[in-house]
Amino acid sequence: MSDQILQFLLTGITLGSTYALVALGFAIIYNASDVVNLAQGEFVMLGAMSAIALSAGAGGLPLPAAILGAVLATLVVGLMLQRFAIAPAKGIDVVGTIIITIGASIFLRGLALLLWGKDIKALPHFSGDNPIRLGEVTLMPQSLWVMGGTAVLVLAVHLFFNRTLVGKAILACSCNRTAAALVGIDVGRMLLVAYGLSALLGAMAGVLVAPITYTSYDAGVMLGLKGFAAAVLGGLGNPMGAVAGGLILGLVESLAAGLVSSGYKDAIAFIILLLVLFIRPSGLFGRASAERV
Amino acid sequence: MLLEASGLSKSFGGVTAIADLDFRVPEGLVYAVIGPNGAGKTTLFNLLSGVYRPDEGRLAFADRDLVGRSSHEIARLGLSRTFQNLQVFFNMSVLENVMVGAHARAKSGLFGALLRLPRMRREERAIGRWAQEALDFCGLGELAGRSAGALPYGALKRLEIARALAAEPRLLLMDEPAAGLNDTETLEMRGLIGRIRDRGITVLLVEHNMGLVMQVSDRILVIDYGSRLAEGTPDEVRADPQVVAAYLGGEVHYAVE
Amino acid sequence: MKRLRGWLLLAGLLVALPILFPDNYYVNVVGAAAALHAILTVGLNLLMGYAGQISLGHAAFFGLGAYTSAILTTRCGWDPWLALGAGLVLTGAVAYVIARPVLRLKGHYLAMATLGFGIIVHILLVQTGSLTGGPDGIGEIPPLSLFGWTIDTDVRWYWVITGTLLAVVLLALNLMDSRTGRALRALHGAAVAASAMGIDTAQAKTAVFVLAALTAGLAGSLFAHQQAFVSPDSFNFFVSIELVTMVVLGGMASTYGAILGAVILTFLPELLVVFEDYEVVIFGAILMLMMIFMPQGIAGGLRALMRWPRARTARTARLTQDAA
Repeated sequence: MSDQILQFLLTGITLGSTYALVALGFAIIYNASDVVNLAQGEFVMLGAMSAIALSAGAGGLPLPAAILGAVLATLVVGLMLQRFAIAPAKGIDVVGTIIITIGASIFLRGLALLLWGKDIKALPHFSGDNPIRLGEVTLMPQSLWVMGGTAVLVLAVHLFFNRTLVGKAILACSCNRTAAALVGIDVGRMLLVAYGLSALLGAMAGVLVAPITYTSYDAGVMLGLKGFAAAVLGGLGNPMGAVAGGLILGLVESLAAGLVSSGYKDAIAFIILLLVLFIRPSGLFGRASAERV
Repeated sequence: MLLEASGLSKSFGGVTAIADLDFRVPEGLVYAVIGPNGAGKTTLFNLLSGVYRPDEGRLAFADRDLVGRSSHEIARLGLSRTFQNLQVFFNMSVLENVMVGAHARAKSGLFGALLRLPRMRREERAIGRWAQEALDFCGLGELAGRSAGALPYGALKRLEIARALAAEPRLLLMDEPAAGLNDTETLEMRGLIGRIRDRGITVLLVEHNMGLVMQVSDRILVIDYGSRLAEGTPDEVRADPQVVAAYLGGEVHYAVE
Repeated sequence: MKRLRGWLLLAGLLVALPILFPDNYYVNVVGAAAALHAILTVGLNLLMGYAGQISLGHAAFFGLGAYTSAILTTRCGWDPWLALGAGLVLTGAVAYVIARPVLRLKGHYLAMATLGFGIIVHILLVQTGSLTGGPDGIGEIPPLSLFGWTIDTDVRWYWVITGTLLAVVLLALNLMDSRTGRALRALHGAAVAASAMGIDTAQAKTAVFVLAALTAGLAGSLFAHQQAFVSPDSFNFFVSIELVTMVVLGGMASTYGAILGAVILTFLPELLVVFEDYEVVIFGAILMLMMIFMPQGIAGGLRALMRWPRARTARTARLTQDAA
């Protein structure tokens, strides 16, 4: 029985790593621009689908090159989203920005549908698909890639925000945009960096997990929504909280799917979301704030 | 006493906004609250109108306890207010804005609205009359049909007052009514406040414009750092050395012997 | 009656169409579908446009009404009208229960809470197979009859749905032109001031949320009998987004705008059948472009055009208020 649980835990951490990267992307954009980017899941999908497209067939690129190409392409999409969809909509209220990002997500999905159809696709495993045995428990090598890759990316993001000037500039924009501008920070450029970074994280998540979970033109929807749930769980606006939220969500989902019922597994994320919003909207690690009148 | 506060305290995080404040407002006066910036005046208003809940202390309006009541409950007790930063309903016409002010005076609800029952229609006509009357009182009668968004700033301030008056309150809280007004408009505001008082409505006024305060108020409360510094008629307050010190910082030496 | 001018025009139009174009697919079938969507959007617009709230899960109420009718008529042999009534009760009750905790939230949180709710309902519809028939849904739903007439032709459904739409629009117009309606709009305009005027904002939000849910439930029951079949696919997240798009496109805070949005987005896929593959991309593009260039929707755009010279004072005053 405990082997079963261990198996679920391992699946959960793998799953949770993907959620963590998506949630981190949400948190970065929310922090920098107060926008909840519901197209975040589409970055994941685009990363995976582009990598598959670039590496497939006779004229396909070798996997590392395809991955690099896919991540760069998605990064560009992220920049374009900020520059052409979010930035022009000045003075719009919260509902408006949410609708724009929903529109963007639908648009990107439609684009993927046009380019690659409805088929489910898979990316080859990075280092083979021979399962590793640890006693009664099996682990795909790709899972190690996912976990390791996520750890490296999260660390890199943490260092970026705390040690580099650009990272701190983005944090400044999220605290007080006007003040940041007044001290000479190019806010527009920082926003682009934030969106580009989120797109990059999403694309990496997609590429890392595609060999295991496969992907298709609408794979991003649920992932984006669940990533948002994870970000709220961790405390919207707290990047490391978002990572924690993602991991927790992955674990809970995996355990529930394994021990209770797999049909309702998708509902877990949203039940958690509603519970957090009703009981403690600032999440596990967010700061509760009073509204000033 | 229409309004009584004792031991009132409110803090936000580590910052104390109101500290052990006592005051009493008799009915039928214009009662001004003044103090340097950050002294806690707007916090006081928010405490009175139920936006914030005091950490400690008693607050009573017409012998009814205010603490723990929500904003809309307090409004229905007969306390109305205007806002320092305009809270006008820009999505409605001028008349409709003021009709909202009379909300608590009417009763017809969802059912009556959906089916347009006769009682609802009678009430609507009455609400319309009350609103027009309040607009006329504030000099905005001609503008009833315009969109609120079309009004200039000075008119918007008066619109908020008309809206608050439509509620037929016993106590009207006015939060910096002269802010942003030029000299002519300030003079008109002074007249308006006086006429409100003459109608029998008690006015509690927060204001920075000392000239207006001294001319229109019957009593003044001076607060600093969230506590009561002085209280009395305009002449008494003007002469109080502590008040002078709070505003000008330090002792004032009179050159004349 | 000046007040009802728009309504009479709408009624006249809806009555004239099938008479002028008898047996026309676009009138009877697509028109009826548009009218059904309009019932949904008029209700949603009360919540989003007038009261300024957000709901990204409105399809859930549509589904609750539809499935209640479906289950009670097929499994329990209920009379369709009683089942419809039961659907309204259930939809209203569910809306009432979740309204309080959900509507305390604002902005993103409110949007995502409603989204989460909608998804959970959809998952329930799919998973509780024994009750709902699961992904395959429920078929062979008996038809509605009115005064002895069985409503089983396209034309008859056209009349029933447009008749319902006219009733709903009338109620919505009455509501907005009343003390309750002003309270709702005040809630949107400046919630703090609304409270200060004695409006119980929590109660008002709950009331309009329940009303919107009831109209959706009503539409759902009609839909179930019209299609004689329900499946979860008709009540998923995308449908919720479609409804929001219709409201936004037509113009919030305008009942007629909501109808316009429903009409445009119901007819568009029909007319663009050639571009079926592009449907998704076009839809996404419409959403984005709408919110960027015409966030007030078509109705709002028209209103702004008429008010252009006086727009500047409004902007200045609004800036002062928003900056606070």
